[in-house]
Amino acid sequence: MPAEAPPSDRAVPAAEAAPPGVGPPPDPYQVAGPSSPSGPPQPPAGWAGPPPQDPSARQRLHPLSPALHGAKSLVVVIAGLSWSTLSRVGFGWFVAMVIVLALGASVLAVVSWYNTGYQVVGRELRIHEGLLWRRTRAIPLERLQAVEVVRPLLAQLTGLAELRLEVVGGGKTEAPLAYLSVAEAAALRQRLLALAGYPSGAVPATPAQPLPAGAEPPPPAGRPLHAVSNRDLLISQLLTPQAFLLPFGVAFVATQFLSEGSWSFIAVASTLTAMAGVLLQPVRRVLDDWRFQLARDDDRLRIRNGLLETRSQTVPLHRVQTVRVTWPLLWRMKGWLRLRLEVAGYAAGEADERNRPDRLLPVGDQPTGEMIVAEVLPGVALSSLPLRPPPARARWVNPLSRQVLGAGLTEQVLAVRSGLLTRQLTIVPYARLQSVRVVQGPVQRMLGLATVHADTAGGAGAAAADRDLADAWALAAELTARGQAARNPTP
Amino acid sequence: MSDDAPEVRLPAAPTSPLEPWPETVKWQSISTDLIWVELLRLAAGVAVVSAVLGVGWALTGSWPFGLALGAVGLFALWRVVTIVRAVRAWGYAEREDDLLVRHGLLVRRLSIVPYSRMQFVDVSAGPLERAFDLATVQLHTAAAASDARVPGLRPAEASRLRDRLTALGEDRAEGL
Repeated sequence: MPAEAPPSDRAVPAAEAAPPGVGPPPDPYQVAGPSSPSGPPQPPAGWAGPPPQDPSARQRLHPLSPALHGAKSLVVVIAGLSWSTLSRVGFGWFVAMVIVLALGASVLAVVSWYNTGYQVVGRELRIHEGLLWRRTRAIPLERLQAVEVVRPLLAQLTGLAELRLEVVGGGKTEAPLAYLSVAEAAALRQRLLALAGYPSGAVPATPAQPLPAGAEPPPPAGRPLHAVSNRDLLISQLLTPQAFLLPFGVAFVATQFLSEGSWSFIAVASTLTAMAGVLLQPVRRVLDDWRFQLARDDDRLRIRNGLLETRSQTVPLHRVQTVRVTWPLLWRMKGWLRLRLEVAGYAAGEADERNRPDRLLPVGDQPTGEMIVAEVLPGVALSSLPLRPPPARARWVNPLSRQVLGAGLTEQVLAVRSGLLTRQLTIVPYARLQSVRVVQGPVQRMLGLATVHADTAGGAGAAAADRDLADAWALAAELTARGQAARNPTP
Repeated sequence: MSDDAPEVRLPAAPTSPLEPWPETVKWQSISTDLIWVELLRLAAGVAVVSAVLGVGWALTGSWPFGLALGAVGLFALWRVVTIVRAVRAWGYAEREDDLLVRHGLLVRRLSIVPYSRMQFVDVSAGPLERAFDLATVQLHTAAAASDARVPGLRPAEASRLRDRLTALGEDRAEGL
């Protein structure tokens, strides 16, 4: 079952969706006033505190959330109106438009806050929302992959937090609960994780896997693994194409401005905005990965990072689908690499990709990378993977990068290397394989080559490009067999 | 299993692009009625485009419309040939632990999907397919890239496949 069922299944009125006998059945349409059935009505300020006597009653988000949403939409409105509108209508009208639109957005935010509620019923989290089209989403907690408490800048200023749930098969981050007070968010997170069976390991879909089981005896809770130095992070982001091209961009704008002399303020502002878009990525990475700390707590990884927006993520090791090692061209002189991981339930095409816990190591040297890879995938040595290049005739398809391409099998993982300039190594544990595909394009058919794809939940998986056809079939057969063996350790 | 010499360990595999492991796999082909479904779909599309182009030609009388009309005709002819061949090339096989689906002529694809990875099975039949008494079975895994779609099945075969897949999936349920 996907988390995104057809709308007809989802839009069940909450009154019908609540099975009798499971939790208290407060009338979900009773939006006015607190609907805690086991207590007297409470003042609205009571919503901000920890759950009252009956935690499974329907709760509303923090009363400040519409204000925060309104402030967020203000930024969107200004960006949407853009510089050209400002130049066309003049400053006064521009401000008026912004105010009208922002007011409208705020009203909508208040209405949506008023109609949004969440409650925990049995082993489900229900989220009610919508005024005209009421929607009740029931999120089975068995499908919960991770719960994050995120604190964007505005939320940090107001002492609030956002709770994000990641669900198996969900097309996107399911149900961000924005915003709750920090204490409430932490309490709810604990509660959801406990209900999802994380402490007892009672998640039905994940029997004992060889990966966590093969690790050394359980380390102490929260054993720190690595902390990235902020200096290295800064240098690493200066060693990106964007940072390298910045002086040229500035010089271009300056010369244009000086030589023409006719550029208006608007034109310069637009150019700067466009350049900021390009520059944003390294800046964002620095802000996001500031004070990056990685720790291991039993069979979970704990990641903490961020300057403006502090995020702490918990990744259960058995949810790691792939580990991707990247050696960007400009980092090679430093011998640096970057580690990323893909976790199930986080869609690849998510618009806001910063929400995914994909960073395992923003920057680090080879020994650090090796240590962390060995920690995440026990028994995998990064430097001694048995990679074999494709046959010589593959150079017709990859004239420059044939030597880089490589694929190899170890006892527990498939490793695939690719990329001439930005070298990438993708590691997929056999136990995480979802399906295997062999694809042969027309040119490959002439050359007798084929590409083997190893698909994983979340992320692109790995593709061993341009193998010899016989080798590709053998690789596919071997992957299927090993995936089978890894899923059933004791058949 | 040792790590150093994977080549030695791998079994000798046959090299025919569409027929891997012929000794262990029994391929089943799909109904050739799917050819008619696909041809009708093609005809509908071609008819709409040609009508638009034809009206444009008649009204303006400019020659690019005629050229485009000819191109559409050629494209339709080429598609007719490929549809016939593609439907014949489509095949699936149920092995003990996984479902194999192969399709494609220009780009040949083979998917191997273990039953235990199955998240859910879709059986669908559009109006055109229903008219020819056909149905499509699609197996979904947690990976978006998994590509296990078997069109052109008789409804009885489709429900048999669905029931078998769900039964096998429950037996071997692993999810992630």
